[in-house]
Amino acid sequence: MTALRIAREEWRYWVRSRLVLTATALTALVLLSTALTTAAQMTAERETRSRLQDEAYLAFVSQPARHPHRMVHYGHYVFRTPALLAAFEPGLDPVTGQSIFLEGHRQNTATFPAAADSARLGALPTISPAVIYRLFAPLLLIILGFGAIARERESATLVPLLMQRASGMGLVAGKSLALAGAAAVLSVPALGIGLWATTQGETLAAALAMAATCLVYLLGWCAITVCVSARCRSRHTALATLAALWIVLALVIPAFGVAVAARSAPIAGKIDTDLRMLSELRTVGDGHNAGDPAFARLRAELLAQHGVERPEDLPVNLRGVVAQYAETKLTRVLDTYAERQRADELAQANLSRRFGWLSPVVAFASASRALAGTDLETHHRFLREAETLRFGFVQALNRVHAQQLAYADDIARSRDADAERRTRVDPAAWRVLDEFRFRTAELPTRLQAAAPSLVMLLCWVLLPMALGLWAGRRLETSP
Amino acid sequence: MMAALQREGRFMLRDRSVIAWMIVAVLLSAVAVTAGMVEVAAQRETLTRLIKDDRADRSAQLAQQGDWGSAAYYAFHLTYDPPSALAFAALGERDASPWKHRIRMLALEGQIHEADVANPELALIGRLDFASVAAFLLPLLIIIALHDLRARERQAGRHELLLSLSDGRLWTMRAGLRGMALASCVLIPFWAGAALSGASGSATAAVTVVVLLHAAFWTAVCRVSAELVRPAAVILTGLIALWWMLAVLVPAGARVLIDRAVSMPEGAQITLLQREVVNDAWDLPKEATMTPFTAAYPEWSGHAAVRLPFEWKWYFAFQEIGDLRAAPVSAAHRSGIAERDRWAGRIAWVSPPAWVERTLQRLAETDVAAHLRYLDHVRRFHASLREFHYPKLFRDADFGTEGLSGLPVYEPVKPR
Repeated sequence: MTALRIAREEWRYWVRSRLVLTATALTALVLLSTALTTAAQMTAERETRSRLQDEAYLAFVSQPARHPHRMVHYGHYVFRTPALLAAFEPGLDPVTGQSIFLEGHRQNTATFPAAADSARLGALPTISPAVIYRLFAPLLLIILGFGAIARERESATLVPLLMQRASGMGLVAGKSLALAGAAAVLSVPALGIGLWATTQGETLAAALAMAATCLVYLLGWCAITVCVSARCRSRHTALATLAALWIVLALVIPAFGVAVAARSAPIAGKIDTDLRMLSELRTVGDGHNAGDPAFARLRAELLAQHGVERPEDLPVNLRGVVAQYAETKLTRVLDTYAERQRADELAQANLSRRFGWLSPVVAFASASRALAGTDLETHHRFLREAETLRFGFVQALNRVHAQQLAYADDIARSRDADAERRTRVDPAAWRVLDEFRFRTAELPTRLQAAAPSLVMLLCWVLLPMALGLWAGRRLETSP
Repeated sequence: MMAALQREGRFMLRDRSVIAWMIVAVLLSAVAVTAGMVEVAAQRETLTRLIKDDRADRSAQLAQQGDWGSAAYYAFHLTYDPPSALAFAALGERDASPWKHRIRMLALEGQIHEADVANPELALIGRLDFASVAAFLLPLLIIIALHDLRARERQAGRHELLLSLSDGRLWTMRAGLRGMALASCVLIPFWAGAALSGASGSATAAVTVVVLLHAAFWTAVCRVSAELVRPAAVILTGLIALWWMLAVLVPAGARVLIDRAVSMPEGAQITLLQREVVNDAWDLPKEATMTPFTAAYPEWSGHAAVRLPFEWKWYFAFQEIGDLRAAPVSAAHRSGIAERDRWAGRIAWVSPPAWVERTLQRLAETDVAAHLRYLDHVRRFHASLREFHYPKLFRDADFGTEGLSGLPVYEPVKPR
């Protein structure tokens, strides 16, 4: 029980230290205000986007009678509802477009990221509870722990301590336990936010997983702090070393990882791929024009199949059939390019995530985004689901076009007002649109996405711990 | 005085910890400058390729068209904002906001908000560019190197001796010398980058002044803190807390307050409104489009009669009506962004790191104002497309390649 006694003495020392109390109070204040602001902001975002999604659906199905192809271009909007744990870790939500306009023949980009409207005040100011945990909770632990062993050495109490009561490893264990206690207390707000999210519909397991990840991350910093404190001659060197370590791990390595990822796996932008795709598309043909040579074969086949001479005599509207055919072929090309782009983005992200082996800050950031459901993969899933919805309603409208409209009216409608009137379809047909609500993935999926980063985090606890025990044993031979 | 300065200089160069931090400063800055230059080179290369591909695509499209309406409908135009010579030092908005679009003569509000941006995950973490080194890391380096100015001498037992030999100016001189040495270490790679990128002398000098001022501020803070008779660890904690306040808390709090105080319409409202107006036009009588259109363009009132259910001039007229109707919301959105940016500029005066980053971005023309200038330029170009096509559409001109020679070609914003 020496470890516990040493820890208890350390806690008593903290209570007497003004520095420790001020730093703790400051961190608590910032954490609390950030938690409240972020939760309020993300709740408002959830409500707004859910409302806009409902309105978009209503707007679509309540359109008046018109030509079905007009509805293909009237299009539909989808909104990405943020995850509930975004209140803890907004992740990519503010920097990615939150809505997409879906229409025929095109895959539009996600527009209006919240960050684009925000005031710009430097690189760091997007703070959220997750950012506080990632960047600043370690600083508090450093302030609490830099003197843990260095202080005893400086005031020449280390040798008596080792002689009287504790082994070196026991001393390290006790001081680590003291810091671990602080880390546990520090994780309570994360748990609190998670529990709040469960009242909104998040699972308890997800809330616990997030709080546990925070705790593991902070324990890693505790171990690092004790290690350095055990090896440094004075409190001051310990603090300077830890501060330098923090700068490198928290600020330099993440940014360096981004630079390396951007350089070694460059990706073409959307316009770049669009242009390359367009030359390929010119061979697919334009679905607006049933006379396009690319559709001549389709037309001939259709006429032969029904044993008629003219498209007017077909039981289906040739233009609608062409539109369906063209949309399918086009979407296949669009999807190929979009998937390639997403794969490239993911490869870049994975490369920058691998810097988690060099910094626990990177590992924790990737893990918390994955657990919250605010990572790149989630945004990609949103894009894919939007595309499925787009293709679904566009093709359903093209089917209506093929089955309910007379070809003769369809080709005359630009010149003949009566024909134009006959090509208007009853609005009941607009119900082909599926309702859309973007949902966060189930916890097992999120855990799986977080797994590589969680492994890195575990290493970031175990390795410094092992080092700490080694440093503890060294204390006995050279205190 | 000179002798004292020389002595301090020699003393500094023998101090291994100061040399170590100076090397770190050079390395960090060199990595940041290199990364910035690589990125800017990649952006330029992308642009060269895009300009070529865009031209090829447009000629291929135009070759297939038989009338002016389809020509306007199918011809896309690349618009772009090339990086400035100094962009490598502060990538700013170029990481998060689109700097290239492909637009055509349809309603612009449906196109200008499309965002062809880099990988959002990388943009979120943030790049290591020279501006972030100068704004956020340089203060930390100065703090670490200077926080124990006097405490270290006290520890070494030389403090009283040094005081008896000279007055308080010693500490100021020592702090100033070391602070400026660190700032120079950060600046050397930048100067090299600026020379290689062909940045103007005045811009390079301006960046230098900004960085030196910033270094002077933190050096002064460290010098003042040295007056406190406290252990070095306490001073270091206090200085890092101050950095945290100025670099993170003040900007973050201000950002939340500014976003609350300056309200603006949701961006999605612009596109939703534009789409409703454009789509409604199909079902409304043609006059509902042509009357407001000729009010805006009286010169076409003699040619505004629409006889067929579909005519291109009517089609493009209601595209413009869509833009006109969405214009107030769009303008409010734009001025909201500009207003928030103005407030951010004022708040930045109390946060030196934010001020440095914003100033460097302004010098590099990668700030919000430059982004808005680019968008305004895109709007002007789009207007010139309309100006070019309307006479053809309303006068029912014959379509031909010779008429296409006057088709507006996008030119980027002229460097100021």
